[in-house]
Amino acid sequence: MAAPAVAVSALSKYFPQVDLRRLFPGHRSRGVWALRGVEFALEPGESLCIVGPNGSGKTTLIKLVATIISPTRGRILIHGRDTAGAPAAARRALGFVSCNEDSFYGRLTGRQNLAFFARLHNLNPVRAIPPVAEVLNLAPYLDYRFYTYSTGIKRRLDIARGILHQPNILIMDEPTANLDPIAAADLRQLLLGFQEQGKTLLTVTHRLEEARQLGRTLAVMVQGRLRKISPEEGEDLDDLYRRTVLEGDDHAS
Amino acid sequence: MLRKMAAFLIRDFQVEVSYPFAFVWQWGSILFNLTTFYFLGRLLAGAAAPYLGPYGGGYFPFVFVGLALAAFQDVGLSAVSQTISYGMYTGTLEAMLLTPTSISTIVFSSVLYQFFSALLTILVYVGFGAGFFGVALGQANLPAAAVLLLLALTAHLPLGILSASFILVFKRGDPFTVILGKLTILLAGVYFPLQVLPHWVQTISWLLPFTHALEGLRQAVLLGQGLRAVAPQIAILLGFTVLLLPLSLAAFAWAVRQAKRLGTLSQF
Repeated sequence: MAAPAVAVSALSKYFPQVDLRRLFPGHRSRGVWALRGVEFALEPGESLCIVGPNGSGKTTLIKLVATIISPTRGRILIHGRDTAGAPAAARRALGFVSCNEDSFYGRLTGRQNLAFFARLHNLNPVRAIPPVAEVLNLAPYLDYRFYTYSTGIKRRLDIARGILHQPNILIMDEPTANLDPIAAADLRQLLLGFQEQGKTLLTVTHRLEEARQLGRTLAVMVQGRLRKISPEEGEDLDDLYRRTVLEGDDHAS
Repeated sequence: MLRKMAAFLIRDFQVEVSYPFAFVWQWGSILFNLTTFYFLGRLLAGAAAPYLGPYGGGYFPFVFVGLALAAFQDVGLSAVSQTISYGMYTGTLEAMLLTPTSISTIVFSSVLYQFFSALLTILVYVGFGAGFFGVALGQANLPAAAVLLLLALTAHLPLGILSASFILVFKRGDPFTVILGKLTILLAGVYFPLQVLPHWVQTISWLLPFTHALEGLRQAVLLGQGLRAVAPQIAILLGFTVLLLPLSLAAFAWAVRQAKRLGTLSQF
């Protein structure tokens, strides 16, 4: 049996606060536990959507899976391999869409930006960029400077960067944030297309309806703990979310 | 590896030429700089002669070599930290680390363009110096000058990597680039021979790698001394490189681990 695409076990993350007073006796570091014992597994082709209040640890979780930050405790396996021991192998399997527009070079064109990151993936940009640009309908825009793009084009370019190396796992942090309703709907269709291609999706969002559309599995992050939820047919997702966040309920597992 | 190095070279060149006026002006400013020192040299002609005898006697050729090497040293000291600061500030460092690219590849490849740019700067200095101001370079020993230039870079690069490590953890207040950079310009003999400094200050000067690089380069360029004559300078610069490079890379790897632990890789 194939290993899960992503398997997270007993994952905790503590952010210590750098404080020079700690050097003196009697002063202890005051940090934050962002994640506490998170567990989940995603089979290949599965889609998990995580919602949760601001500061609940959603972004921390996906940055840990993407190997951008390191865990305090616990393990993350990508296709059965521990990311701590084989981060480069994990990065080859993962595509991360940070939705940080500043993480591109504004003076370079979209094509030049993609070419830079393609080369860092050991890819030939001439071969790697066109298929991705076609899927994302980016071809007409690629030769303009990045700073001239609208938010929608920038977001598509961000996704293009994430899938340049054809990863089978895609991690996204609020992919439709700041997009107008039509652009957001188009993007959701695109992401559903990725699901149909068998890609494993791990998405963080604040939009509950979007979470229902994108996530075959839904989870709510509350104070660093992940609770899977299973809304029943016709159940009000807003209400279920609110109850899970505020009180916890029978649907939480 | 080569593809990744090419990626950084191409990226930095594309960014550079996207600011065309600055790209052209950096060469024009060298001409203004040299002109200033040319006339300063004429003013000092007699007064400075006793100090400049060991370097051929003229102030302008003396300061000309100092200015050219200072541009080169700046690459070693500040290129890595500038790249890392920009990458942290914008999030591009995080994006690069999401690719299967090692930290050491990012560090070394980030200075490649500036290294070639500094080499070109030196050639421009040589061109302007010889073409406009009559600096005689026919006697220069090119192999010795090339070895000294390379070692000047490798001896300063670890200091730049240490500076970048500091920035990764503490974000601001980097002591390496600012203090060492200023100290080098003041004490290493860029603008005046070390002999004009108090004796105890000269002792500090000889602790700086730049002092040895500059002394060797002046011997090679102005007096035509070969590799054998500048062997002491080569040995000292090699010593700085061998001692500091592994240390700085270890410090950088530790700094990245700290930044990942603290979650501050993309904070500034």
